[in-house]
Amino acid sequence: MENLFAALFEILSFGSIVVLVVLGLGIIASMMGIFNFAQGEFVLLGAYITYLAHTAGLPVWTGMVAAPFLVGAFGLVLERLIVRRFYAAPIVAMLGTYALGLIIREIVRGLIGGLYISVPEPIGGSITVGDVHLSTWRLVIIVVTALVMIGSYLLLSRTSFGLRVRASLENPALARASGISTNAIYGATFAFGAALAGLAGALIVPVFSLFADLGLRFLIQGFIAVMVGGVGSFAGPVAGAGIIGTLSAALPWVIQPVIADVLVFVLAIIFIKFRPQGLVSGKGI
Amino acid sequence: MTDVSSTLSEASPPRAKRRRAVLPIIEIAMLAVFLLLPLVLQDYLTVFMTRVLILCLFALSFDLVWGYAGIMSFGQAVFFGGAGYGVALLGRDLGISSMLLVVPAGVLIGFALALLIGGFLLLGRNPSSVIFVSLGTLTASYAFDRLARGWYYLGGQNGIPSIPQMTIGSYDLGEGPVFYYLALVILVAVYAVCRYLVRSQFGLALAGLRENEQRIAFFGYKVQHLKAIIFSLGGAIAGLAGSLYAFHEGFVWPNMLGVVMSTQVVLYVLFGGSGTLIGAVIGTVVIEIVSFWLSNSYQDIWPIILGALMLLVILFRPAGLISLIVSHSERIGSFGRPPKGSDHGSA
Repeated sequence: MENLFAALFEILSFGSIVVLVVLGLGIIASMMGIFNFAQGEFVLLGAYITYLAHTAGLPVWTGMVAAPFLVGAFGLVLERLIVRRFYAAPIVAMLGTYALGLIIREIVRGLIGGLYISVPEPIGGSITVGDVHLSTWRLVIIVVTALVMIGSYLLLSRTSFGLRVRASLENPALARASGISTNAIYGATFAFGAALAGLAGALIVPVFSLFADLGLRFLIQGFIAVMVGGVGSFAGPVAGAGIIGTLSAALPWVIQPVIADVLVFVLAIIFIKFRPQGLVSGKGI
Repeated sequence: MTDVSSTLSEASPPRAKRRRAVLPIIEIAMLAVFLLLPLVLQDYLTVFMTRVLILCLFALSFDLVWGYAGIMSFGQAVFFGGAGYGVALLGRDLGISSMLLVVPAGVLIGFALALLIGGFLLLGRNPSSVIFVSLGTLTASYAFDRLARGWYYLGGQNGIPSIPQMTIGSYDLGEGPVFYYLALVILVAVYAVCRYLVRSQFGLALAGLRENEQRIAFFGYKVQHLKAIIFSLGGAIAGLAGSLYAFHEGFVWPNMLGVVMSTQVVLYVLFGGSGTLIGAVIGTVVIEIVSFWLSNSYQDIWPIILGALMLLVILFRPAGLISLIVSHSERIGSFGRPPKGSDHGSA
């Protein structure tokens, strides 16, 4: 019983990590129709900023707070300079963002010297429920993910900015005709997606430690999750991420980890083949 | 881009005054250089150039699939590495190392894998989106990499070391000039076949796929079948390259199957110029030589330079290096005449 509970907690915390990473990817894919191969490197940058704050002698949480803003700003610059040229062509966008990701990843690799660097948790220790010890930090990740999801949902559904975002998503031409600058909305969305990835990176670095291929690990998982969930909505990628994250964390308890890892992807690809629109079809929230 | 119908009309009447064709000159020049290289290079450089030639073969396979048919395969390394592992197992477990057996085996493995993966991703009632195909192949590459790393029989992380040398009859084919010329002969032969193929009516249909898939479908072509055919053919060539590579290096390891190798080949072709066969060769040669040259002193920053180069090419020279010297119309080229008594060429 305790084991089951511990396993469920483990699965939940990993699922929420995947959701956090995928949310930004999904938002960018839905809005601009491009799959951002540099998303994993935004995760890496978030982790790296946290590490920088830690080595500068600041408390770790300051880095975590700063990471989404800095990575978001960086994302905005990249979008304005480079990524916006790719919106018309999804394949070129993949290649271009892959190149961007490669540059960022290798620079960070050069800076940290190919090592695995551990960063301490800002809130350590564990909470004991009955006989089970739960890591406090993983609990924090789950809570933050929930908050971010609620926040994003409210932003999209309740604010005038969200209304404009949805308008540009559903019918860009009409949105432009109504005086909405889709151009600016795209920039803001990309920055927002990057900021989410930065936050994800900052939060997971104490769990996974910092290394140059940190982001790569989540990239394919993220793409698959977005496709399973369905491009074009808010709920789709979140649902997809929930399923992929849960499966990826749950299956290794049952079968060999390597087989489990591959099995999740194969199942997902088969699912997408027969339901190309994903779990949640249609645009909007 | 020029659409297919105008290319077709351009092709039939020979114009009175043609611009000097540059492509054949480049091809002959490259061939001449390749032929003479082992005479002037030191042995270890000949070995290096053999590897480059084999990678050129691999790049051709990707160019055929992406540059001509417009199918984005982010998993081309699956066929390359899959064939490599296959022939390595033949060599290790069955002691088969005769070139007449292992090279066809490699081709067959590449073809079969591509037919399997391509058949699943490309065929079916609903046409697959470009994104689905590219992510599907990427996932396949990742999955095969993971399996190879985790499977003890395949040597796990270390791969399969010390494959026996390839033999022709009783002759042992080790690294060196002989292997170099063998690779060159195979490369030239495959190049010639590809060149014939893409300049035939089949090639015209492929170019149509790339430019406007829907229109080709409206012409009555079975678009998905065409795609599956060229994808499998690309797989077969990648398999050929993979089997040669495995025997040349003497070992295979999981990176040969993985995402890194798959994106590497994209880079070669993109850099040299997709949609021209010689572009793929030039891209491979340039990138490999620069990488070899820089790897001694600037190993750390080379990937960064590579990424920056790739970005610059995508932004400013989407047609690759080759577009600096070869005109657009020549890159599109002309296609063989339709066979007599049929209206729409071969399908």
